[in-house]
Amino acid sequence: MANRLSAWLARYKLVLIAASLPILVGLWWAFRPEKLWINQTVNEPAPFDTSGEPEPIFTGQFQGKTSGRVTVFKKPNGKEYLRLRDLTIPGDADAHLELTRSDEVNQAQAAAKTSLHGLDLGLLKTNQGDQNYDLPAPADLTKNDAVVIYNQRIGTILGWAKLEPF
Amino acid sequence: MLRYMQTRIALALLLSLMGFAYASAQEKAQILFTGAFHGKVHNTSGRATVYQESDGRLVLRLTKFKTSNGPDVHVVLIAAKDADDDANFLKNSTEKIKLGALKGNEGDQNYDIPKGTDLQKFQTVSIYCERFNANFGAAPLKKF
Repeated sequence: MANRLSAWLARYKLVLIAASLPILVGLWWAFRPEKLWINQTVNEPAPFDTSGEPEPIFTGQFQGKTSGRVTVFKKPNGKEYLRLRDLTIPGDADAHLELTRSDEVNQAQAAAKTSLHGLDLGLLKTNQGDQNYDLPAPADLTKNDAVVIYNQRIGTILGWAKLEPF
Repeated sequence: MLRYMQTRIALALLLSLMGFAYASAQEKAQILFTGAFHGKVHNTSGRATVYQESDGRLVLRLTKFKTSNGPDVHVVLIAAKDADDDANFLKNSTEKIKLGALKGNEGDQNYDIPKGTDLQKFQTVSIYCERFNANFGAAPLKKF
């Protein structure tokens, strides 16, 4: 049996090669396996002028009972500020804006009453709409990656956003 | 010799003026939407941002972008809030708008968004392998 097969293979060797060639080419075309190892890097500049404008460096969306977006901008002079946009929080007189670690927020939410160990940016200016806050120099945003709206008096988190690099 | 120098200086002045005119012709743009890419199977990461230029044109810009290289990969907008990593756009007959072939699997890149595109409807950017109907990664666009 094996002999007959090898004899058959020897006889039709050229035909087999010729027939399998287009199949191999087709498979290569479909899967392009070499692309597993080859990266194609591009580096297009922005198609518009970004000079002199504050540059967004972190952004996140509020969750919980609060909605809106927080974005951290870096001014051309290097100073950073935090901007809240389209903010809506349930009415509260004593809401503070705090920067802290997101794992602390997760732990704090599990507890009924809590205190945060982050950086207090002060009373929330208004509970509706757009507003800016200057960031103090030591605000380490890779560590303090959560912006929290927090009621200090009753110790509850009204809403928070995780900062992601822009 | 002097004349030759004068021509050279005049030419240099002219070129720098043209450069200045080109730079000031580049307009500012406003961010409308942004979102981060997710995609585990094909390891897709980075950010997608929609800018509106001062003349109203919409541009999708990918930054810090990375995905796996593959055949026939396109950048598409899909009519969905987000897409699962194993989403099948054909099966779910998801509406798509093609923005073009992916320019590179790594790095910053820009794509024009056709005039009149409803971004309230087409809310997600997908890196889509047309040949195998595979979603390499998706970025849900949220209001900035």
